[in-house]
Amino acid sequence: MDIVFQQIANGLSVGMGYALVALGLSLIFGVLHVINFAHGETFMIGGLVTLIATSLLGVPYLLALPIAGVAGALLGFAINHLAVQPLLQRRDGGADVLLATFAVSILIHQAVVVLWGPAPARIDGLAGTIEIGSVVLTSQRLFVLAVGIAFLVALEWCLKRTRFGTELRAVAQSQFAARVVGIEVDRVNLRTFVIAAVIAGVGGGLLSPVILYSSLMGQVVIIKAFVVVVIGGMGSIVGAVVCGLLVGLLESMLSLVTSEGTATAIIYSLLLAVLLVRPYGLAGKKAR
Amino acid sequence: MDIRWGAAARRSIVATAIAALLGGLAFPAAAQQPPVRIGVLMPTKSLVGKQGQQGAVVAAEMINADGGILNGRRIELVVYDTNFQPAEGVGAAQRLLNQDKIKFIAGEISSTVALAVVQLAQANGALFMAAVPKHPDVTASGYDRVFRLNSTTAMDARDFDAVLTEKVKPTKVAVLAENSDFGRLTIANLRKLFGSKVVAAEAYDMTQNDFSTLVTKVKGSGADLVCIAGSNMEQYGNILRLMQELKLDAKRCVMPGILNSEGVRVAGAAADNAFSADIYVPSLDNPLNKRFVAAYQAKYKETPEKIEELGFESIWLLAQAMQKAGTADDPAKVAKVLHDNKWDTPRGVVAFDKNGQAESGALINLVVKDGKLVPAP
Repeated sequence: MDIVFQQIANGLSVGMGYALVALGLSLIFGVLHVINFAHGETFMIGGLVTLIATSLLGVPYLLALPIAGVAGALLGFAINHLAVQPLLQRRDGGADVLLATFAVSILIHQAVVVLWGPAPARIDGLAGTIEIGSVVLTSQRLFVLAVGIAFLVALEWCLKRTRFGTELRAVAQSQFAARVVGIEVDRVNLRTFVIAAVIAGVGGGLLSPVILYSSLMGQVVIIKAFVVVVIGGMGSIVGAVVCGLLVGLLESMLSLVTSEGTATAIIYSLLLAVLLVRPYGLAGKKAR
Repeated sequence: MDIRWGAAARRSIVATAIAALLGGLAFPAAAQQPPVRIGVLMPTKSLVGKQGQQGAVVAAEMINADGGILNGRRIELVVYDTNFQPAEGVGAAQRLLNQDKIKFIAGEISSTVALAVVQLAQANGALFMAAVPKHPDVTASGYDRVFRLNSTTAMDARDFDAVLTEKVKPTKVAVLAENSDFGRLTIANLRKLFGSKVVAAEAYDMTQNDFSTLVTKVKGSGADLVCIAGSNMEQYGNILRLMQELKLDAKRCVMPGILNSEGVRVAGAAADNAFSADIYVPSLDNPLNKRFVAAYQAKYKETPEKIEELGFESIWLLAQAMQKAGTADDPAKVAKVLHDNKWDTPRGVVAFDKNGQAESGALINLVVKDGKLVPAP
């Protein structure tokens, strides 16, 4: 029985990792209706900035996280202006943005490999472990869970209670209608993009002590994040987080009864099933 | 790819040309003699490839500092990138053979590249001294001018199995292996060795980065020995860290030939007391090794490990054999001398079997103590 509880704790922790990346991906899709392939690399840069800040500059870990967020924001701003905004106006803008951000992701990854090097590195996050009965969870993993939930709550509050949130939801529903009522769509788009990038940057800083920093960490995580976003419903914030946690839980519970390979196969089958039966996702709304 | 390869190749030709020119200026007496040119194939853009190449460069510099071979002829390396791709490896080897007219080729990391180069060497009568490739077929061609310096997985297992069964004596064994030829082979080997004592054997994807569920499963299996068979240091480093986090109190071994000081650094304190084995450690106490380590540290500000040593050895042995054979133009003669003699290297005395496989005696048992990889007591 102990092992089941431990796997639940593991699954939630792993799942929050997926959710932190899926959150921004889903947000961008919901508002701009584009897929940002460079999102995983923003996550990786967050990890790298945290590594540089803590190991080279001696910044305390908790202070390095906001720095990673700022780095994410700057990168998001640059990607939006270089590879998203100029292409959005085109007729097949969505597909162009997908390709352009894919190119940007390779560019970022190669630049890091050339300038910083391919070697992985350890980042020491919060020290200590918490034990409840025989279930062990490190403080860092609990911290990731807490910050993830905080992001979700803050984002939901922002969407429902602020003027920017109202504008954002209006743009998400119809760019044309939003423009008609005087909303500056480009500005809303930019802000959305930057918020998503901040979450990715901080997410990279949060998760790199758990999974180790590696220049490949973005490429690895974005695939799972896509799965989470599709199952959860493209554009659904709550769906992304809940579904991230669910996929993490499902993986860890399945690993109790089957091998990792089979568990992964089941997750991807679920993805296919959702696409066939509920293409708007488990939490998504039908009409858009 | 071809264009990039071409540019890299041109750069290295220019570099060697400049090196030859400078060398000629610095040693006018030696310049009268043509240099002995040795081809080096390495995936030079990767970390391991660079390590191997740097080892080779140190060998050439040490030989040249000693006055060269065959009455003062200097060693000159012609280095080409293979990028882990058989096609690029073949292109590079063809260039060495046809364009540079070089009959002695050393180096390489990748087995698939080496297997392709073996065929080319055979067709051209050249000698190939493979440094790092581990696949058994590299020395299975029957061609008597192919040599391989690294140990094979089977050779590693031969020595390490005895350590596991006679020294460690586990009652329950768990295996965590990457989902590759090497990982699956290791699982099969350990199952054969321990039979029903293997209580968990899990293969993980080579892109996986969170191992908490796997390690929890291993913990639940009650194993008192956990063997890790995966060459990615971020992966085995992470597994070691999770074992510590989840308070898994078992002996931990990393299968031979994988653990290096970079990996130990990545794992941090969690690597302490993990054990492994390898053919080389930089702390070996023999004059040639001390000289090699000092020369490498002086040039690159790092301590050389196995890959660097194998790169060094590939050039060092070729040069010694050329000297002994009295020729730098006859691969058959040099190959025969290599086969017939025992050779001093930084890792100890090396001899070649009839297939060209190097043997340097038993593996060195290693253990991590206070963040350092040291020979086991």
